[in-house]
Amino acid sequence: MKIFVRILFCWMLLMTVAQDSFAASYIEVTAAGNRLLKLAVVPPQPMGSAIKTEMANETAGIQSFDLTMSGLVSAERKDAAVLANGLALTPIDFVPWLSAGYDLLIRGEYELRGQELTIEFRLYDVVAKKLLTAKRFLGTEKELRRYAHSFSDEVLRILTGEKGCFTSKILYVSNQSGNKELFLMDWDGFNPQQLTRNRSINLSPDISPDGREIIFTSYKRGNPDLYKRAVSSPVEVPVSSRKGLNITGAWSPDGTRIALALSKDGNTEVYTIARDGSAPNRLTVSNSANVSPAWTPDAKRIVFVSDRYGKPQLFIMDANGGNLQRFGAGGGYTVNPSWSPKGDKLAFARSAGGFQIFVANADGSNETQLTFEGNNERPRWSPDGRFIVFSSKRGGQEAIYVMRADGSGQTKVSRNKGLSQHPVWAPRAQ
Amino acid sequence: MKNGFRGMVVALGVVAMMAAGCAKEEVVKKDEPVVQQQTVKQQEPVKQVEPVQQEVKQEVKQEEAAAVKASVAVALENVYFDFDKSDLRQDARDALSKNAEALLKQVADAKVKIAGHCDERGSDEYNLALGDRRAKSVAKYLETLGVKADRITTISFGKEKPAVDGHDEAAWSKNRRAEFEIIK
Repeated sequence: MKIFVRILFCWMLLMTVAQDSFAASYIEVTAAGNRLLKLAVVPPQPMGSAIKTEMANETAGIQSFDLTMSGLVSAERKDAAVLANGLALTPIDFVPWLSAGYDLLIRGEYELRGQELTIEFRLYDVVAKKLLTAKRFLGTEKELRRYAHSFSDEVLRILTGEKGCFTSKILYVSNQSGNKELFLMDWDGFNPQQLTRNRSINLSPDISPDGREIIFTSYKRGNPDLYKRAVSSPVEVPVSSRKGLNITGAWSPDGTRIALALSKDGNTEVYTIARDGSAPNRLTVSNSANVSPAWTPDAKRIVFVSDRYGKPQLFIMDANGGNLQRFGAGGGYTVNPSWSPKGDKLAFARSAGGFQIFVANADGSNETQLTFEGNNERPRWSPDGRFIVFSSKRGGQEAIYVMRADGSGQTKVSRNKGLSQHPVWAPRAQ
Repeated sequence: MKNGFRGMVVALGVVAMMAAGCAKEEVVKKDEPVVQQQTVKQQEPVKQVEPVQQEVKQEVKQEEAAAVKASVAVALENVYFDFDKSDLRQDARDALSKNAEALLKQVADAKVKIAGHCDERGSDEYNLALGDRRAKSVAKYLETLGVKADRITTISFGKEKPAVDGHDEAAWSKNRRAEFEIIK
């Protein structure tokens, strides 16, 4: 314990030294040319008598995965000997990393006392031989994965100026239990948690901008009605039980209204309702099907799917239903629109040899196909816009995948049995 | 009488299921030359239903014979659709004429719930709208044949409840359907 205190003291010293570097732009460590920065993640070293190598390796694995997926660095776990001088890296300690071609280094320590875990991670600039940031976590081993992800968030903040979203979660539908129920998992697919247990069919969830409330369609009372529940409480409150369909609910960016599709008046049309289901306002008038409304992040416009010209296509209108236009040039069967957090891009799925994920500019220009393998649907953006989550049947059973917004790094993340679909990337915890 | 009515409803349900099975076979025979395997497969669920039906029959025997008569008559046929369509084909119109007759003459007091379904192609939410349209298109046609609107309710399951597993036209053509359920 004494050692640990000494180490903490050293760390505080280092932190003071490092303050200056936080202010500086990170451009000084940008690799020459366009190559990715190379990051070595050394599993944290044990302090004290309790040694859990597997646990330490797990954190290094998490951070390597997070940061490699970010697309900013090429990260790998590297085992390294304990430093002779305890915690503080002397300039000479950087030499082997430098000669092995690394730009960045994560090191750390942990101490386990009974259930109590203290773990600290530090990011170093190998080239400049200095500490860039450090974070210490106090809690239990249960929280280990969250601590590791949280430091990945911090590394992204240092590298880009914007915190990562590796501690955020993905809401989705799985039939693991035999029925389609809502689940929540870590962004990398760990810790899946079943939310609903109504043994009916539950579909198309959306999560409120504050990350606290979920709306979804359920057949639990027979009709496909829209329900609302808190993430933290199992009570499911009916929000819209109008005759016919109450589907594809989408929270407005300020969380005060919900856009959805209702078939109470004959056709399936897009409406908005208040968050308690009252004050319906019909936005579309057609003799066709209109579903899947998606608000622009500034709440001014809504894009939706309509088959008024034959096959389902994207249309865009003002949030009061005015100024209706077709979105983009059109094309094949097009569904599942989703705005990027900044509103500069729209992701959607289009039939192109199975459904494929596309991204276009906000004005509909520059459509780019991102997936090519299997059937891919329901793209949704991560809160930082760095990633797109989607469902894919490329491996047989439908599962949840994550890719970078440019389509690179497509990786299966869901791990549960049965099919997994309808993913929604939840906001960062507040 | 109340109990007797309840017994009849159970019998209706069972017989309707059997009838639906038979109807499917007919459709398969018309559309597809390669039927034999399918026919065998479809007989399996019927076998499972049989013992249940016999139990019900024994119950029913204690009730009025009229109940049995009504249950036989109320075999409502599924109707099937073309891909991404909700308009009614001629075979669907023929089936609906028979269904309407049954609803008007045999079970004139009963209500009917029409469930619209889709095949697995297309997106989930768009298929919910398509299933809704199919159920409503069937409801409208039954109304033109004289079945009162207040006896009819509709629901869409999109592609959530396929009748047949499979990823080819043989399966899809059986999944693009409207099913009927007599209620109360």
